[in-house]
Amino acid sequence: MASSSSLEITGIDAGYGAVRVLEGVSMSVPAGQTVVLLGTNGNGKTTLMRSIMGQVRPSAGTIVAVLDGKPVNLVGLAPEQVVEHGIVLVPEGRRLFPRLTVEQNLRLGAFRDVARARLPENLALCYEMFPRLKERRTQLVGSMSGGEQQMVALGRAVMSAPRILLVDEPSVGLAPILVSRTMEMIAEMKARLGLTVLMAEQNFHQAVRIADRGYVIVHGHMVFEGGSAAALQDNELVRKVYLGL
Amino acid sequence: MDPDLVLLLNGIVSGLLLGGLYAAAASGLAVAFGMLDIVNIAHPALMVTGAFTVVALGTWLGLDPLLVAVLQAPLYYLLGVGIYSAYHHFFEKRGEEALQGLAFFFGVMFIIEVGLVMVFGPEQRFLDPSYAYTTWRLGEIDLPLRMLVPGLFAMGCIGLLFLYLHRSFTGLAIAAVAQDAEALRLMAVNPVKIKRLAFGISIALASMAGGALVVVQPVEPSSGQVFIGRVFAICIMGGMASLPGCIMAALLFGVVENVTATFFGPSWSPAVAFGWLLLVLAFRPQGLFGKAA
Repeated sequence: MASSSSLEITGIDAGYGAVRVLEGVSMSVPAGQTVVLLGTNGNGKTTLMRSIMGQVRPSAGTIVAVLDGKPVNLVGLAPEQVVEHGIVLVPEGRRLFPRLTVEQNLRLGAFRDVARARLPENLALCYEMFPRLKERRTQLVGSMSGGEQQMVALGRAVMSAPRILLVDEPSVGLAPILVSRTMEMIAEMKARLGLTVLMAEQNFHQAVRIADRGYVIVHGHMVFEGGSAAALQDNELVRKVYLGL
Repeated sequence: MDPDLVLLLNGIVSGLLLGGLYAAAASGLAVAFGMLDIVNIAHPALMVTGAFTVVALGTWLGLDPLLVAVLQAPLYYLLGVGIYSAYHHFFEKRGEEALQGLAFFFGVMFIIEVGLVMVFGPEQRFLDPSYAYTTWRLGEIDLPLRMLVPGLFAMGCIGLLFLYLHRSFTGLAIAAVAQDAEALRLMAVNPVKIKRLAFGISIALASMAGGALVVVQPVEPSSGQVFIGRVFAICIMGGMASLPGCIMAALLFGVVENVTATFFGPSWSPAVAFGWLLLVLAFRPQGLFGKAA
């Protein structure tokens, strides 16, 4: 299963009130690829993700998703509407519902009509990919460990039947071994569901492992675009910022 | 049988029946206060409004109060939708729901009470159903239908609500909305719509509890006041968002009140019942039936 959905961001400005966070940011997420957006804290990764989802409204520029060959302009849509198009975000900090059980959290992911129709098969897929969640299906999410919560967050995204998956800083608060596991899980989700993936991450080494393409954002400007993981690793700036070489 | 034992058994049974009425009054609040975090102190006043319209419509149509309560519920659903829309527009949207929202519902409560006096007059109203003076007897235990029927009616309403909340996607979204409304939007759910619907349900339940109230006792515009403390106490003891917890807490509250009244006099019963609430809060802050997360 290969994805035919892509994302094209052109020259967006966005921020909060008088504070401008993104300036003239462009990037493209080609169909069927995993694109990583690299940057340290406070450079605008989350704001970019939020702009795509309609949680922040850009003051300039366009965000166009091409879904099965049809372009859809996302600017001006509410988050609910963006999700209805099959663009699903695993937000920073996971944002699960702590006083609901694992299965209730997963089912909520399938709220939209398209996902609801596929609920049984997607739930089975979730439990196959994350057997731990099946064991813990009646446990309250608030009482689970960070790694388990990350599985619920990814599982909830599977339940939404995404076409384009956005993942914002999946490594936050996780032990290194779990970060590595998380990257593998995202790669597996992409392969199984035929997704296009955009992941914001500050853990360079882990992120490039699954990346087809990468961007580096510094102070709200796109400063580097690398066609491949190799190009990213060889880049002078990336070496300076991330690798301290 | 030992007369004291008979007294105790009757105290417990009529406490359970009283608890049925409390459950009716508190279940709607368990939705608004427990699930949506909306401190609707006008809830009992809306229940009493429901009671007054039940009396008016029931007298006019010659129907049973509980039947009228069911028939009028959709109108109260719409009233709840309207109240929530105003609350959301003026307070919640601006993030001022904590104090100003509370003041808003306080105001709604006074407007309702004064409104009821102006429309229906200050005197007591009643509408006796056909079974009002029938009492079933199980050995030494009295089961007045005037208490039993509204209690069962309340359990039926709460049971249906419970099924709805647990079987439907909307119910799941209602349970989630107060925990993280923004995250809910990422599941393609409009949280304002969900809260509006849930608050409508809450007020519809208040009006049905009004029907139950009319069967139990005559009502006057200020009848809601004695319920304010009780319904909030029951919601908290029941674990806020749990309907089964709400029922259990309501029944226990009724029993504690009634048994205390039977043996030590009615003036002790609120003191003991609320003292009990303090103990619950001290030792099980998540409520007797709440789950700690």
